[in-house]
Amino acid sequence: MSLELAGVERAYGDATALRGVDLTVRDGEFFTLVGPSGCGKTTTLRCIAGLETPDAGAVRFDGTDVSGVPPEERDVGVVFQHYALFPMMTVRENVAYGLRFDPPAEKSVEDRVTELLALVDLEGMGGRDPDALSGGQRQRVALARALAPAPDVLLLDEPLSALDARLRDELRLELTRVQRELGVTTVYVTHDQSEALAVSDRLAVLNDGRVEQVGEPEAVYETPETRFVAAFLGENNCLDGRAVGGETKGSTVRVGDASFAVTGDHRGAVTCCVRPESMDVNATHNRFEARVADVEFLGDGYRVHFDWNGRSIVARLDDAPTGRVTLGFDPDEAVVLER
Amino acid sequence: MVPTDRTALSRRLDGARTHAAGVADAIGARGAFLATCCVLLVVFYYPVGTVLVAAFTRGGDPSLAPLWATLTDPFYFGALAGALADPASVPGAIAEWAEAGFPAVRTGLFGFTAFLALLGTAGAVAVGLPGAYVLARYEFPGRETVRSLTVVPFVLPAIMVAVGFTTMFGTNGALNDVLSLVGLSVDVAFGLPIVVAALTFYNAPLVTRFVVAATETVDVRAVETARTLGAPRWRAVVDVVVPQVLPSFLAGVLIVFVFDFMAFPIVLALGGLRLATVEVWIYSLASDLRIPEAASLAVLEAAITLALTYVYLRVERRGGRDTATASVPRVPLLGPPSAGRLLALAYACIALVLYVGPLASMVAESLTRGGSLSAANYAFLLAQQLGSGGARPTVAVSNSLLFAVGAVALAVPMGVSVAVVTGGEGRLRRLSGALLMAPLAVSGVVTGIGLLRGLVFGVDLFGYHLAVTGPVAIVAAHAVGGYPFVVRNVAPLLARVEDDLVAAARTLGAGPTRAFRDVTLPLVAPGVVAGAAFAFAISVGEFNATIVLARDGASYTMPIALERYLSNPSVGPYLGPAAAMGTVLLVVTAASFVVVERLGGRWER
Repeated sequence: MSLELAGVERAYGDATALRGVDLTVRDGEFFTLVGPSGCGKTTTLRCIAGLETPDAGAVRFDGTDVSGVPPEERDVGVVFQHYALFPMMTVRENVAYGLRFDPPAEKSVEDRVTELLALVDLEGMGGRDPDALSGGQRQRVALARALAPAPDVLLLDEPLSALDARLRDELRLELTRVQRELGVTTVYVTHDQSEALAVSDRLAVLNDGRVEQVGEPEAVYETPETRFVAAFLGENNCLDGRAVGGETKGSTVRVGDASFAVTGDHRGAVTCCVRPESMDVNATHNRFEARVADVEFLGDGYRVHFDWNGRSIVARLDDAPTGRVTLGFDPDEAVVLER
Repeated sequence: MVPTDRTALSRRLDGARTHAAGVADAIGARGAFLATCCVLLVVFYYPVGTVLVAAFTRGGDPSLAPLWATLTDPFYFGALAGALADPASVPGAIAEWAEAGFPAVRTGLFGFTAFLALLGTAGAVAVGLPGAYVLARYEFPGRETVRSLTVVPFVLPAIMVAVGFTTMFGTNGALNDVLSLVGLSVDVAFGLPIVVAALTFYNAPLVTRFVVAATETVDVRAVETARTLGAPRWRAVVDVVVPQVLPSFLAGVLIVFVFDFMAFPIVLALGGLRLATVEVWIYSLASDLRIPEAASLAVLEAAITLALTYVYLRVERRGGRDTATASVPRVPLLGPPSAGRLLALAYACIALVLYVGPLASMVAESLTRGGSLSAANYAFLLAQQLGSGGARPTVAVSNSLLFAVGAVALAVPMGVSVAVVTGGEGRLRRLSGALLMAPLAVSGVVTGIGLLRGLVFGVDLFGYHLAVTGPVAIVAAHAVGGYPFVVRNVAPLLARVEDDLVAAARTLGAGPTRAFRDVTLPLVAPGVVAGAAFAFAISVGEFNATIVLARDGASYTMPIALERYLSNPSVGPYLGPAAAMGTVLLVVTAASFVVVERLGGRWER
């Protein structure tokens, strides 16, 4: 099933949560909504589920407008951030709950529940109370429960945020495995940009109730279209300057006293974005001298904070430098955004 | 990094909104809520309104004359009435008064009521505060039980307490039986001391509960910090513990004063008209159908108690709300004798006499006749004969149970729908919450008078004469009195039902009604049952409205029958039947208490 949101708006009293969201999610896709808290990603998800009613705009399932269709009549499965398992029911009863309204056609409810528990590696746990489970197990039950009625759309609202880091990585892999196995159209909400980059077929960056950019993770990471996306997805050194153009194969951007060569034809006020991993002490282009302010050891390298004439610069380096260092970057590595 | 507290906040805001809408949609809760509002309008606001209107009209025109007449009547306001009637005479009167050597000033009915309430409050503090100290300071087996038992006197039917005190302290009571062994006797029946003692019995546990709850919020580390900064133990207590406990203590004192000020059955049964308070006088005036005068009194009484309640709410809000991560450790009560332990034991003996004495005397009295063990008193309850005061005991017992069942059947849906609709946020919800909870603050006597005038005597509407029968009005009054307790028990559980649980059920295919039934209802069921048990106990013990509405023996309930027995001198030395009925009331109330306690319900108003 494909999803489409067209000009969806939602306000709470004076506070506007969504200011016209346009999105298309393809059939069978793992699609992620990522953005800072309050950006409207959860509201968007709830509009898809039917738990919120948009003030304006349309939500379409396979081209059919579902506005006004209550959640129980939409074929969606939702996994909530804090599991939302029914505490008065056992694991098995939780997973079976959705089947009360939508019994499986070819097999018994029992078999379907057993199948789902096996899918999420919880065989034999059916008789337990949710209270007796660990956080990771609860989230697996929540996933099994959402999937039991074989929904057309799976909606995941920060499903991993309540778990510790190691478990989060493990469940993330499992989640993508299950999703690929079933091929169900999935919308995943997270504030964690690294999670978004890791799991998605495509992702949308939301900010302040609007979609900033949509695309495949690599594309959005490598060619951000707005300064917000550049700074939000991964780390970035965003240097404001003026592009003066003139070179044969590119332009020149003046930042303070320095001039940097970049590709493409740019004029006027721009922001020049360079990833920390693109900063290089051995670079042959765009060299400038900066003072080491702080060094963090990350295991596989160092994150070094520089002071460059009052500007902060971050670089990922293999060795920890001291004192004054000459940095540089390749013109191809810089993303130039009009301001 | 993303600030997680903002995430949580916005999520909570979102949650509150969708939850309010989501749950209110359920069960057609709005329909039930509207029905509840209609019921309240018919059986509370309209009747009470008709009474209060009488205080503000004369001959059909709006007028403050009835109120003014009451305010300037020395019978009600003593010397203050004269001052109000003629402010210019005040300086002269004061000079006269000084010349006469400051004789006792006439205080009037309000003055006496305040005096009685003051005595009752003093008694409650004298008994309740040491009790709080013992419970807060010492650890002993059964401490938790004692702590939860402190709510029991509060919900015992007041008239039953009056019976207990009569069987204990009355002329032929247990105390005199014991004293007569050494040739002594005391006569405290139907006097000020026994009324004050009964009020103390009733309200001292309230002081204890308020103070103990406050001491539990004192963090031991605050005390330890004070000690490490050089304060001796007593100083640490004065500087750290007392300021944290004081607001709760003052709140407790205020609410006890309000309860004492409005006390009705105890004063009526143990004091009679000789010790009339405002509330008793309202009842007496209403019985003589002098409604405008009764209404004026009710308005003035309500003004005083509502003002005090407002102050109470302000003071209570200042009290500590945090729970201590580590509370101050308690000292074992059992151990080598020390001054503190001996005093605690002495207090335990006094409390035992005050609390167990009346109840035990009552039960003992019910089981004896002519000095020997007998079931005759209970046989009397089952007999069809006409008891004193026109009360048939069997009818009273069955009426009480029947009315209680009816009241519960009405109060539970009312309470649940109000809890659901007022569960959200917002000014409107708070306002509607306050209006719906108003029955708690209005005297039952006034509700009773209103129901009697407005519904039992009937109203003419569109050419039809509409009237309801006494028993229906009684059930309605009991339901109105009981449903706030259903709200109080259900609302906290409802608030704890995560919004996402209902949302999860909805996305899994359950409609709003089904989601409410499958998810919300099972989670709040303990509160519903506790609230029902509570409403049952309230109904069985209700006195104020019932005594106004029960016009003849056919609609008497146990508390009314008890009052008739107590006030009828022809009952003479035989308190047995009253004691037996009191014991039945005790058993019913105790059973309700067990149900509520087991379900972790809330007794406090």
